[in-house]
Amino acid sequence: MVRSTRLLTWVLYLGLALYTLITFIPFTWALSASFKSLAEISSGATNFIPQNFTLDNYNQIFTQEPLFGRWLLNSVVVAVIVTVFNLLFNSMAGYALARINFPGRQWWFFLVLAVLVIPGQITLLPKFLILKSFGWLNSYQGLIVPTVVNATFIFMMRQFFLNFPKELEEAAKLDGLNRFETFFQVVLPLAKPALAAQTIFIFMGSWNEFLLPLVVMSNPEMFTLPLGLNAFRGQYVTFWNLIMAASMVFTLPALAIYAFFNRYFIQGVTFTGGK
Amino acid sequence: MTAACRSSRQTEATIDLTLSGWQSNPAESRLLEKVILQFEKKYPNINVKHEVINSQYMDVIRTRLIGDVAPDVFYLEAFEAPTLMKYGVLEPLNSYITPEYNLKDFEPSLLNAFKQNNQIYGIPKDFSTLALFYNQTAFNQAKIRRPPQTWDELIQVSKKLTIDHNKDRKIDQFGIGIAPELARQSFMVKAFGGALTQNNQAAFATPESLKGLQLVVNQYREGTAAQPSDVGANSNSEAFGQGRIAMAIEGAWAIPYLKETFPNLKFAIAEMPTINNRKGTMAYTVGYVMNRNSKHKQAAWKLIEYLTNEAGMKTWADQGFALPSRRSVLIDLGYDSNPLYAPLVAGSKYATIWQAGEILPTILTNFDNQFISALLGQQSLSLAMKKAQDTANREIYLSN
Amino acid sequence: MLTQNFWSKQSTREGLSGYAFMLPTIVVLGIFLILPIIYTIILAFHRVQVLGEVSYRFNGLKNFVRMADDDRIWIALQNTAEYVAIVVPIQTILALGLALILNTNIKGKSWFRVAFFLPTVTSSAVLTLIFMWIYNTNGLLNHFLSLFGFSAYNWLGDPDVALKGIMIMNIWATAPLFMVIYLAALQDIPESLYEAAAIDGATPWEKFWCITLPFLKPVTFFVIVMGIIGTFQLFDQSYIFSGGSGGPNNATLTIVLLIYQYAFKNLQMGYALALTLVLALIIMSVTLIQRIFFKEESLD
Repeated sequence: MVRSTRLLTWVLYLGLALYTLITFIPFTWALSASFKSLAEISSGATNFIPQNFTLDNYNQIFTQEPLFGRWLLNSVVVAVIVTVFNLLFNSMAGYALARINFPGRQWWFFLVLAVLVIPGQITLLPKFLILKSFGWLNSYQGLIVPTVVNATFIFMMRQFFLNFPKELEEAAKLDGLNRFETFFQVVLPLAKPALAAQTIFIFMGSWNEFLLPLVVMSNPEMFTLPLGLNAFRGQYVTFWNLIMAASMVFTLPALAIYAFFNRYFIQGVTFTGGK
Repeated sequence: MTAACRSSRQTEATIDLTLSGWQSNPAESRLLEKVILQFEKKYPNINVKHEVINSQYMDVIRTRLIGDVAPDVFYLEAFEAPTLMKYGVLEPLNSYITPEYNLKDFEPSLLNAFKQNNQIYGIPKDFSTLALFYNQTAFNQAKIRRPPQTWDELIQVSKKLTIDHNKDRKIDQFGIGIAPELARQSFMVKAFGGALTQNNQAAFATPESLKGLQLVVNQYREGTAAQPSDVGANSNSEAFGQGRIAMAIEGAWAIPYLKETFPNLKFAIAEMPTINNRKGTMAYTVGYVMNRNSKHKQAAWKLIEYLTNEAGMKTWADQGFALPSRRSVLIDLGYDSNPLYAPLVAGSKYATIWQAGEILPTILTNFDNQFISALLGQQSLSLAMKKAQDTANREIYLSN
Repeated sequence: MLTQNFWSKQSTREGLSGYAFMLPTIVVLGIFLILPIIYTIILAFHRVQVLGEVSYRFNGLKNFVRMADDDRIWIALQNTAEYVAIVVPIQTILALGLALILNTNIKGKSWFRVAFFLPTVTSSAVLTLIFMWIYNTNGLLNHFLSLFGFSAYNWLGDPDVALKGIMIMNIWATAPLFMVIYLAALQDIPESLYEAAAIDGATPWEKFWCITLPFLKPVTFFVIVMGIIGTFQLFDQSYIFSGGSGGPNNATLTIVLLIYQYAFKNLQMGYALALTLVLALIIMSVTLIQRIFFKEESLD
């Protein structure tokens, strides 16, 4: 019995190790390429450790493509603003739907559920037309405003707040706090895990979004990094060292956010709770 | 006092212009930048931002035109011009053109590609025709003295040039490369009197058109012609450079590419062989156009003028990526006497411009989809073309 | 009397604060979700011109009639169906497997959890480029295969292989996301159920089959629906992979890419909107069919 358990553990570890390898090989290969010279890449060698370690590629992407810094900035601005607004608005709506007894609540909840089923791509073209009529094409607000609310996370926050202890709010009420004060001073600070999970998903979503920026931002100065990266590739088709360096620069911030918020992450995901 | 000085200086506020295009080669871009610098020196109050858009160029331009953020001046292929002219997003240039500009110097057929109802919407910057590139080493080895003059000869020569060097039943060198695209085949449609369109409808499935296209299909089925992908290349010029095909039908753009990438390749260029005793080839041209919503139209015209007047065209057309659209520059730079370029120049006399109204994109997609299956023998050419024509016309009808 | 007044005031205040909390959501969803849907439904029956002078012209069912003959729609649907049929089951099973392993008391599991999630954090643009480079004729994959004596192959240029390349990448990138969702659900299973089963002498297999799996049914529903919707929405990878064309030979053409092409390449916004409407209906019916199927299952 003990023996078979130990064997099983080894098999599990082997499986995990193998999958880790599968996960990491593409990244390490890309990372290593970003430190290699083009000559070394073209030689077709399969060494993961660069023979001549160089930072030239990183240097070059910022000097050869003067807009690279701008794209980075655009991406940061958009992703940060979108994340902050989402955290606020989704939590507010989720809280209202879970805890506040207002007329039409069921109806709005139903609407949020219905919206969950509607994929974003479907609203792309009309969104484009609406943004055009606002004169918001090629502007930050054109990319930010349509995405400051997210039905999926309203739903998630509602599930989270349903399980939230009522006693705390009642105590707050006795202290004479109104709904807003209760929400911002008592409820929200205790919702950290859910907010952390949201931060990861929303930031990544916004950071990595390709289709909406593709139609909204057509001026190279307004590109976000995914678009910039695609344009960059168009220009340096065979310069895989530069493309990989650019890819790595692009991946790092999302990775940092993930690493930072990760500890809250798994406990924060409650899509199905709602007992 | 200083304030006064400053304000008097600022009477001519700087104008920012955007010029968008693509680049086929960094050298080409550098050259254009040089001309732009000279322009900025001449007009110190105009600041030109040169923007290179290399992926999905027309998608980007269209999206930006829709969003009202299009560049002031941009490249436009003749093939795409009818659509933009029809939608009224281009500025008519007639009123800007002065007699000194000498518009008559331009090859009329190129200029016509950017004309609609007597309005000129673009100034052709350069062009190229198609001609027959042939590998001299391969020709010598096969003891062929001169390039084929007629299409029949071309078919005969192709047979001799299709060789399996090491007898492994895998052919190492094909006679000629084929690009199964309407963009490269529409002169075959016209060879026996066929036409691409008639009354704004697709009309390429006529017996006359099929006769020309059938020649291509037959040759491919016989195995003396290959597509680039058959020999593991991305393009016919690459396959030609690698020696996998002995002949290719290409344009001026291939010359610097071949010289640079395959320095040991020995090749020459001849005029297209005659088909049905007629000379025929295609011409592709790119023009500078002005955005109708540009805020600085006078400045934008100054830029177009500077880039396309004799001096400007001369500075940047001597790289040989394409032929200058002004006849005087063409002769001044000696393209008509350069043995490599002369056949391409000669072709311009009988070439048809790659353009067929705003329905061309629809026709093109349907043609390309069906022609490839006819080429591969999955269906007969007449059936394939009938299908392509019907679908195209249906789409044209339904999209109106 | 007084109390009643107090209560009604109270409920008015509740109502007001409720709407105050909901306001941003209502405004944004209204303008950028509900309005677009109404737009789509109306404009799908129009010829819409967006370049130059914006104009709309009613043209009845023309846009829908045209679809029947549009080969590229069928190719895109076929690609999507193939994609769903292969990617969704594999990624779901993989995600469940990984989650089950990481839910045991194995050492270093939090480390593995973080590591596996890496592809999900990475942008599809970056992943596509990395994979294109690996699939490249002179790329890592061919080098690896050459160790076993295979000759170099042009993976990117072969229509039969191109879509599969994207599939592998997507399974690899999405499975960890669903793994996390499974992990969260696994933690919700009350320990007492297992303890009770252990007392009854249940084997680990029986525990898995009779407790874990039934408990995971709603999550699985969620994961499968999300997976299907995700594949229907496939765009970035195909766009970057094929440079927007959906090639080679339409092999990577997806419905969203087709819609994008009609809207911005062919400038046929009305037709593109009609296609959008059809896509929406397909996605919603898939979701509904799934839901019905799972409801019936759970009744058994």
